[in-house]
Amino acid sequence: MPKSRDIRALPGLKWFSLGFFVYLYLPLLILVIFSFNATKSATVWGGFSLDWYAKALANDDIRRAAWNSLVIATTATVFSTTMATMAALSLTRNKSLPRKPLFNGMLLLPLMVPEIVTAVATLTLFATIGLSLGLGNIIIAHTVFCIPFAYLPIRARLQGMDESLETAARDLYASKWATLRFVTLPLLAPGIVSGAMLAFIISIDDFIITLMVAEAGSTTLPIYIYSLVRIGITPEVNAVSTVLLIISIFFVTLSYLVEKRGKF
Amino acid sequence: MRDESLTPAIQAIDICKSYPGSPPVEALKNESLSINDNEFFTLLGPSGCGKTTLLRLIAGFEDLTSGELRLYGEDISSMPPEKRPINTVFQHYALFPHMTVVENVAFGLRRRGTDVSQAQKTALEMLDLVQMSQFANRRPSQLSGGQQQRVSLARALAPHPKVLLLDEPLSALDLKLRQSMRTELKRLQRETGITFVFVTHDQEEALSMSDRIAVMSAGRVQQIASPSEIYEQPRNRFVADFIGDANFFQGKVTHQNGNTARFRISPEIEIAARTENTPPAGDVTLFVRPEKLDLLTSATSETLPGDVREISYLGNTTDYAIDLRNGPSIVVRSENHHNGDALALPGDAVHVGIDPSAVRVLEA
Repeated sequence: MPKSRDIRALPGLKWFSLGFFVYLYLPLLILVIFSFNATKSATVWGGFSLDWYAKALANDDIRRAAWNSLVIATTATVFSTTMATMAALSLTRNKSLPRKPLFNGMLLLPLMVPEIVTAVATLTLFATIGLSLGLGNIIIAHTVFCIPFAYLPIRARLQGMDESLETAARDLYASKWATLRFVTLPLLAPGIVSGAMLAFIISIDDFIITLMVAEAGSTTLPIYIYSLVRIGITPEVNAVSTVLLIISIFFVTLSYLVEKRGKF
Repeated sequence: MRDESLTPAIQAIDICKSYPGSPPVEALKNESLSINDNEFFTLLGPSGCGKTTLLRLIAGFEDLTSGELRLYGEDISSMPPEKRPINTVFQHYALFPHMTVVENVAFGLRRRGTDVSQAQKTALEMLDLVQMSQFANRRPSQLSGGQQQRVSLARALAPHPKVLLLDEPLSALDLKLRQSMRTELKRLQRETGITFVFVTHDQEEALSMSDRIAVMSAGRVQQIASPSEIYEQPRNRFVADFIGDANFFQGKVTHQNGNTARFRISPEIEIAARTENTPPAGDVTLFVRPEKLDLLTSATSETLPGDVREISYLGNTTDYAIDLRNGPSIVVRSENHHNGDALALPGDAVHVGIDPSAVRVLEA
């Protein structure tokens, strides 16, 4: 094989990258494969079967946990995306708002605060004010930490949007509200959808904060999986995890496609 | 009802616009001007002269710092843009990418309360006017720059505004398209009878289309006049310099005879200029366009001797930079005839003929 003459090619990078991807995806691949195992072992292959999926589906606890997760993630997504959209609109479009970088930083800071700190702080707050709304507690906590995730793609979309489009709408007899409804929001939609998907994924997958604030009966899927693993890994756990993985991949792909399609 | 053709379309009274900062930026300084009904009015000036600010103030995108703006006599100073019967053609078109061409054009009509079918009908008529009806159902992204510009024109004209503002609409188009759009804009203005306010930094555009031009610089209007008056009788040095090319001289009047005065522009050189009124006694600035000078090979009583320093060939004309003997240098522009050979080469001794009627005395 002739040596590459491409000046941008770095020797050895190909094998390094390959190793990286194997490290990243091999465990996931094994998890998925063993979810189809016919025997009760999570490490020794015993033939193909869908029994574990059937078993997981028939398990009332799993179904309840999955339902809880869906309710929490959906509600938290709606709330956090709405708030993130409003925040992005005022931080990119309101000319007279002072100290925008400060507010922007404050919005994004939760991304960097260790989750365990947020979890303890939230738990303390809820305990102090005696908040006990069942799933409501988790929804409130999730809404809060989902806001910065939803905010990022929405803000990016707004910043890339030509402000003269909104000016043109005002020029063509559209009031502020009509401009928002007919021009800003339709153009912002891909950003909003993308932000919502991200919020949904973050919420459905959250463990630490949920574990802290969840009351009895508000078990979510990640917490239930954790409790199963503590008893011992069975292919049932693999099956549930695979379903969760597929949901995540589905939403991330959708978010990517929406953003790609909506390019100006 | 008031006869609108007699009232100025736009009247600006002592308008100021400054942007906060330290020190505040004064984009417009106490300007007053009137734009007539059914006029093609151009705001011309270099970037940062305040022409776009003035346009945005008229459109309502910016608030006045002080002063008053009137539209056919009505005070519109604090009216939001959606209430002003004024539409804008934006520099980068600003077409709504999520709507089709016809939806874009119908947008203004719909927001004004016209019902769907009527708005659709008018929008199609407007697209017809700019020869874009075959693209009605395309998206703006599927059109070329020139086509987008036409759609943007149709969109702004569709609600039949009282005044149409055009913010350097041709600057993003290539040369040929720009030239054909000039004729097109002039035609649209004539056919619709709408007052056009056109902003540009391109003097050719301004000269070829306008009924009147306001030349602006540093937040002030320097001169408002017809294109030929702006070119032939610029009021000050800025206008003379910004529009076309010019030779400037500093001089003192030596004597005057009727409406012709003689000015000393260097210890040994005097030139004559036609003057309407008595020129001031002190230093004045004289100016003469390069194409109004004659390049001669033999001397007469009214010519000045000089040596050609360099020549620049410009296609239909050639510029000769000439150092006058014991005087300043001067540029003579001469049309190229026949085979395009130069009249003189660098180093040649020549004579420059200056007709007194071509020389003008400028204000300060």
